[in-house]
Amino acid sequence: MLIFRSKKDLIEFAEVDFVEAEFLRQIPGLCDSSGDPKVEERFYSDPADPSETQLLNDWAEFVKPDLRHLFASARKLVENDLQKLTQTELAHLSVPLKHGDAWLNTLNQARLNLATRYEFTDMELSSVEIPKLTSRRDLALHQINFYAAIQERIIDALNG
Amino acid sequence: MADTVVEPKVETELGIPWNVVVHNDPVNLMTYVTLVIQRVFGYSKEKAQDHMLEIHHRGRSIVWTGPRERAEFYVQQLHGHLLLATLEKTS
Repeated sequence: MLIFRSKKDLIEFAEVDFVEAEFLRQIPGLCDSSGDPKVEERFYSDPADPSETQLLNDWAEFVKPDLRHLFASARKLVENDLQKLTQTELAHLSVPLKHGDAWLNTLNQARLNLATRYEFTDMELSSVEIPKLTSRRDLALHQINFYAAIQERIIDALNG
Repeated sequence: MADTVVEPKVETELGIPWNVVVHNDPVNLMTYVTLVIQRVFGYSKEKAQDHMLEIHHRGRSIVWTGPRERAEFYVQQLHGHLLLATLEKTS
């Protein structure tokens, strides 16, 4: 798969093979933080020390819903973009550059969700070894790294 | 009868600067953290990278200091980018 910024201010995903296309399509679904308290806690971490009870209460009431909406909006935009992923043997997808932030956000949601659910250690996440694919957990680490590579390319594209 | 003196404790507490602290998270990419700090605070890439490296090596970095209300806004922005961030009173 190649990811680059085109002259038309598009982020191009080119020569996307079957497995990569499937990984891309899975991104929005991997962002669901509900049902896992650890993931919820990571997505909506406390903004201050527990002694700041009023601040924490206000945060839960006013800020958390805004964050939830923000994350959902980013996911929806990516989901809509992915509808245009071609069904050819080597697929192609063009994403407007202005969608880059939403893609970064959604990819981060997916990576954090996977990392938290499977409780990967710092060492596992920073390992340069290609993970063996003998379990769902192994596949999750592979996806975390794959989505990280996409984030890096999108950041390059946004930085021009 | 003695006059009652109201100590301006509330005003004093509101005037205490607050730190915005970004904490390390092994999932967030260094390039992503740098980009977010640049975007949220308007810092140069170099300054944002310095904070990112401090976060990476020391576990946290105080990225901004100022009034509480502004600090809350910045922390919300950082959370919106899924960075681990908190606000704390300056010592």
